[in-house]
Amino acid sequence: VVCRELDRALCQANPRWFPIEGEEATVVGSFIDLRTDDAVAPHYRDPFVVYLMRGAEMWRLACQVLGKVGGYNKGRSVPFNGPVELNVVPWVAGDLGTSLGTATGAALAFQQEGSDRVCVCTFGDGTANRGDVHEAINLAACWRLPIVYVCQNNGWAISQAVGDYVAGSIVDRARGYGIPGVCVDGNDVDAVREVVAEAVARARSGLGPSLIEARTWRWRGHWAGDDEGYRDPTLEPHDVEDPLDLYAHRLMERGLADLERLQAIHAEVEAQVSAAMTRAMAQPDTGAAELGLDDVYAACPH
Amino acid sequence: MPSLTQTEAIIDAIALEMRRDPRVVYIGQDVGAMGGSLQGTRGLLAEFGPRRIREAPIAESGMVGAAIGAALFGRRPIVEISFGEFIPAAMNQLINQAPNIHYMTGGVARVPLVVRTRVGDGPYGGHPQDYSAWFAHVPGWKVVTPAQPCDARGLMLSAIRDDNPVLFIEAMSLAHAPRGPVATETEACVPIGKARVARTGADVSLVAVGSMVPASLRAADTLAAEGIDVEVIDLRSIQPLDTGCVVASVQRTRRLVTAHEAWVTGGLGAEIVAAVAEACPSALQAPVVRVGTAQVPTPSGKVRAHALPNAERIVEAVRRVCGRS
Repeated sequence: VVCRELDRALCQANPRWFPIEGEEATVVGSFIDLRTDDAVAPHYRDPFVVYLMRGAEMWRLACQVLGKVGGYNKGRSVPFNGPVELNVVPWVAGDLGTSLGTATGAALAFQQEGSDRVCVCTFGDGTANRGDVHEAINLAACWRLPIVYVCQNNGWAISQAVGDYVAGSIVDRARGYGIPGVCVDGNDVDAVREVVAEAVARARSGLGPSLIEARTWRWRGHWAGDDEGYRDPTLEPHDVEDPLDLYAHRLMERGLADLERLQAIHAEVEAQVSAAMTRAMAQPDTGAAELGLDDVYAACPH
Repeated sequence: MPSLTQTEAIIDAIALEMRRDPRVVYIGQDVGAMGGSLQGTRGLLAEFGPRRIREAPIAESGMVGAAIGAALFGRRPIVEISFGEFIPAAMNQLINQAPNIHYMTGGVARVPLVVRTRVGDGPYGGHPQDYSAWFAHVPGWKVVTPAQPCDARGLMLSAIRDDNPVLFIEAMSLAHAPRGPVATETEACVPIGKARVARTGADVSLVAVGSMVPASLRAADTLAAEGIDVEVIDLRSIQPLDTGCVVASVQRTRRLVTAHEAWVTGGLGAEIVAAVAEACPSALQAPVVRVGTAQVPTPSGKVRAHALPNAERIVEAVRRVCGRS
């Protein structure tokens, strides 16, 4: 609910934001059960809910999308970059696939330090075709690194439909690397959590990486203001589940929540998001003060 | 003081840091049992084992990316791209990621990474392309190229201890010769960004880097016999560039020649000339000459010698700026 409400507010405020609507279960399910000392490398399509799980402040994340002072990273990087101090693998450019390399490096660091920390890295079906993806997964498999790769397959790479650019299946590639590959319903948060938990446990115990393909659906455009002229409405699937409805029904079925409680959660989150957006909008715009000519190199104490 | 080759001096520095700092990890191809391309990692596997001397698949982008990630999460990796010709395979990580991360995270993240590579003409003739100038252009990199064994050791120590990405470029033609005295008992670093005056002279400033430093010193000997007193500056670092050292020299000699193994067009020599033109345009008494590889992709075999710069070409260039040709 946090993921969707914040995303809607951000899309409304900035037409260039990349909407997550419909894919929330994959994002939440992939990261919700991690420890705070684990590393997270979420895909660029609204990863803010993952940063919030690590303790990031919502209003500061909103500042990044609005170009306001107060965001993490001093307004210099792509707005979906998270706070590195919270064990987030940084996004500093829009080139896709490189994040799998750096995420794999986080896992290498954990193996080198002899800890049981792990890294979870999500990436898109479009990204899946970058050579970097192959290089990273093969490397992690060779070195048995503690990492879980989750392909968030939403069926679209900007204007291209997945059938046109993925020959075969993404999850089947796991076999070629000699690692486990599991396909899961990416709209079912419990299902995603279950397969990710298994892969994380495997990584923690030193058995190496896994590849998960979570099949979900991009409801909206590549960016919020995308008119989606490339999509034929008559070809859209009619049976796509809303991950929030699916989970809400399950909670009610199991007697874990009633409609009243769910409505209260929605109201609470709406208020949270609205407060964060109001606070962010009141901030001054970023500008010359953030240019940071002296911030290109880290000072070396040596 | 022991007499070491450039390669031996670099290995000595890496071994020293790996003993001193358990966070240092070495990644590359053929760096283990084979002892490295050009024997560049000889002995390291035996001392530090396969967990710290990591044999990687042939996947430059993956391995540089992993080194960046490891650096972000507390390690101090050295990643070796066997030859400079393979650098383009890792360009996304090398240009879009490594040098940007500190700045783009608001000065929070640190990337203590060394990328080690070899460029230029070499002992067995392979992989000669020299793309070093690309990295002088991009903010966030420190780029060093030693020209003598003691600097190779001192610069490698500085590179490993630096909290920023450092590209450590070795001139292949200097890998195994000449030897030079190296103070292996010390931990003396050579500061990054500081040039050195390799030979003092009054008539012309000859600014060189890497393999062109020994060639320039040979040229200076020849020219001394003709009565031309050449000052040779060894830049040692390509970024940051020690323009102060160059400008001070040109203000005295009033003549400038640059020499590097990479191409002239859009290259390091142009940057040196621009720095002089900005700082002291009236100091120059004669047009400058830039020496570098001919503007062709560096060819193989016996054609190559016709493309590469050498002491003779440097001698001709200096004669020209001194009005002696």
